[in-house]
Amino acid sequence: MNVEKLFEEPGLKQITVWARGVLENKEARDVVVALTEAAAKEGKYVQAWENYVDLPDRIYVPVRAYGKIGEQPLESKYVYENEVPDIVALTEETLVKGNPILQGVKPGSVLVVNTKRSPQEIAKFIKDFGNLQTLVTIDASGLGSAVITLSGAEGATDASGIGGGMSAPLAAAIVKATNIVSFENLLSIVKNKEAAEFGFERAQVVDVKTLQIAG
Amino acid sequence: MGEKKRISGCVAVANAVKLADVDVICSYPIRPYTGIMSELARMVADGELDAEFIHGEGEHGQLSVVYGASAAGARAFTGSSGVGVTYAMEVYSPISGERFPLQMAIADRTLDPPGDFGSEHTDALCCRDQGWLQGWASTPQEALDMTLMWYRIGEDPRVLLPQYACQDGYFVSHILGEVDIPAAAQVKEFLPPYKNHHTLDTRKPQIIGAQIEPVMGPPLQYQRYNAVEGSRKVIAEVHEEFAKIFGRKYAPFVEEYMTEDADVAIFMQGGHAETAKIVARRLRNLGEKVGVVRLRTFRPFPTQEVREALSKFKAVGVVDNSANFGISGGAGVLLTEARTALYNLGDKVKTLGFVAGLGGEMITHEEFYRMFNKLKEVAKTGKVDKESFWLPFEL
Repeated sequence: MNVEKLFEEPGLKQITVWARGVLENKEARDVVVALTEAAAKEGKYVQAWENYVDLPDRIYVPVRAYGKIGEQPLESKYVYENEVPDIVALTEETLVKGNPILQGVKPGSVLVVNTKRSPQEIAKFIKDFGNLQTLVTIDASGLGSAVITLSGAEGATDASGIGGGMSAPLAAAIVKATNIVSFENLLSIVKNKEAAEFGFERAQVVDVKTLQIAG
Repeated sequence: MGEKKRISGCVAVANAVKLADVDVICSYPIRPYTGIMSELARMVADGELDAEFIHGEGEHGQLSVVYGASAAGARAFTGSSGVGVTYAMEVYSPISGERFPLQMAIADRTLDPPGDFGSEHTDALCCRDQGWLQGWASTPQEALDMTLMWYRIGEDPRVLLPQYACQDGYFVSHILGEVDIPAAAQVKEFLPPYKNHHTLDTRKPQIIGAQIEPVMGPPLQYQRYNAVEGSRKVIAEVHEEFAKIFGRKYAPFVEEYMTEDADVAIFMQGGHAETAKIVARRLRNLGEKVGVVRLRTFRPFPTQEVREALSKFKAVGVVDNSANFGISGGAGVLLTEARTALYNLGDKVKTLGFVAGLGGEMITHEEFYRMFNKLKEVAKTGKVDKESFWLPFEL
């Protein structure tokens, strides 16, 4: 018997957000929390968590936050990492180089990058697109800064609120490209609603095939 | 009315501590339990909880502070993880010996070396014979409920013992799960104020922890032994009352999942049992007779309940998430305890030990699948060629 097939979870969506430790790990966490809380409003089964071994207390090291959204109760609750993401987002453009950001991505997956650069420029730094279908850029830092706080670290409650910084436009760009939740539900969760609206409007969504042809 | 929230095991415990209206909290930071204390510190700072929040100078200090607080009549709370738990080792026995029913949350972490902060039950299991009550939660909801129930059980005048409320670090302590946070009024009904019957009072001087002569040792130890043994009845009663008030019914000692007509079963404690249940369910869909028995209360060890639960099967795989080097049977503490419980049944039930998830690695669906396959093989042949397996190296 095919063991992998035995444990498949059809319809489960995985979101992985990469960020830089201390300065941005709240933003990464806020993106997945905002999306999963919005999905919960839509009756989905959700889970949000941070990668425990990424040492978020080290300044500028790459760290990851994860989200899962399913139509059925989640059956891989204690799986450490998202192994086959549908959505990957970067809170900072240099993460595109030197990190396995697209490892395992599913066919039809989406990459969203916080950057002033165009999708065409960002694409130049990606050697292997794998199964990636869509590349999205958004200048999220131009719409909100990173909220730097220890509140919400180590599994504690974030008393500073969700989506007060650049996570709001970043999550909005994800929603524009994927429709993973309705934009209205996302807006009801994030604090920085204006930035989210601009993020939704300004995100550039490009089919990876057109980028590869343009070379 | 209570409210439903998506929170981590750490925040769930902090909410329970707040609802229990504790008087004294003593903290010292170490991952992964730290989230409990940062949450409680916030609650105290924001005026949500009126408690003395003391930062200890280390874990030994932490336990000493709550020891004194409990002696002075306070409901006290502390916690730790990994080497923090073992650093405080000296203070555990005095607390239970003096019969102070304070509570310590443990979010499991490996012991050094090296400085791995992944979850392993080794830390809390080191303290298993200190005269404390001890149990493992497998979800944030259960972590909250266990905190409330342990206080009630420990403070019962028939028990008066401290409690370790344990949860897997990271898996339960850090991953958000849906939790029903009960209303304060309900908790008030369930958990009456703590009454210490020999409170430290300068007007009535007394000595706590005095030097004694050897002849006075046996009766004291025998009293503590009887208190631990006697707690079984209270544990069962309190679980029943909890279900009446809060509507959540837990088996007080062992929870059985899909065990009716099962040929083989996994026996384990903690969060990974949730993964084992999913694997059992998927295998049931294929027509395989497999089940899971999850231990909820480790101390006192429910010998009778474990014997009844496990004697139904042809083969049982005991999953140990702890490193016990050189132990009888070659696996872990849980295997030796389970075998002792089954001993008088002779060779009727074959038992295998599986050491898994060490260093804080998850126990994957595939690993449980391999364990079930090994158990099916033993059930079929009735032969045990190798009695314990360290995963993933040996299975």
